[in-house]
Amino acid sequence: MKSRRQRLVILASAGLTLALATQASAQQLKAPDDIKMTLRLLVQVSNDFKRQITNKNFARVPHEFMEYTEAADAVRSAMKGESADLKAKVEPRLKAAVAAYQKVSDMSAKETDVDKLMAEHAKAVTAMNAVFNLFPAALRPDPNLPPPGRGGRRGGTAGA
Amino acid sequence: MHVHLHSPARLSRRTLLVGCLAVPLSAIHCTRRQPSEQRVADLSIESDGDFLAFRPDELTCPSGALVTLTFHHRGKYLSARHNWVLVRPGQLEVVDKSVEHNEGIIPVDDPRVIAWTPMCDKGGMVMTRFTAPAGGDYPFFCSTPGHGECMQGVLHVTV
Repeated sequence: MKSRRQRLVILASAGLTLALATQASAQQLKAPDDIKMTLRLLVQVSNDFKRQITNKNFARVPHEFMEYTEAADAVRSAMKGESADLKAKVEPRLKAAVAAYQKVSDMSAKETDVDKLMAEHAKAVTAMNAVFNLFPAALRPDPNLPPPGRGGRRGGTAGA
Repeated sequence: MHVHLHSPARLSRRTLLVGCLAVPLSAIHCTRRQPSEQRVADLSIESDGDFLAFRPDELTCPSGALVTLTFHHRGKYLSARHNWVLVRPGQLEVVDKSVEHNEGIIPVDDPRVIAWTPMCDKGGMVMTRFTAPAGGDYPFFCSTPGHGECMQGVLHVTV
């Protein structure tokens, strides 16, 4: 009985320490709000990719890729004042994510199989999530949050 | 002394200007009021930064009013273009779908569409004028392909 209580206390304090650490690391960033917003932009454009593919509007996919590169640049711009260490970690993953979305875009020029394109898109989402994992949980876009628009709140496409 | 020398000159210039503008302005004023005392409504709406959402997403105006709507594209990062399209109730999805493969360009003679602004680039502003329809709730959206699902709202027209 006593050991169970001890375990609970240890678990609770570990959880509290983790929460405080996450909060502290978010506070250490110079522009957490800008970073959070630009990470959300990546998700928005990723969702746009998905919509264009499922609507079979393949001609628009390269346009979405262009927007994805702009969103990636927005992340870079938001991170300007952050530590060189963090930037050095983010950049290769961001580049990998952009490359993964470019693959989807390039594929869409010839491939009309929605399932195949969506499978490639899922790989790109994984690459994007690897970028998010470098940031504190408080800044990561919530994949269950609907898009900001009224249509999104009514049940538009959610998640990345 | 210096002030006194300049004040009359400024006054006379102002008087001259007022005199010149009085006639055409009063003529415009008369033509605006003459028909049937049509009410006017100025509405303003913008994009939620680069996100696919209108801010606000609900607008209100009286039926029959001459509405001037201004849309401001508040985006900073993405090159996505937006517009504002007002359609008859229940027509949002069909109109959105029908312009999907045409870069979202609204045809001039679509009876399902009440009013629309041209497409707008980030940082830009566009405007449209229309007479508010009969009382009711009218959906509006952005017709850029893929945007309409999220970027939409409602115009409440009061009787």
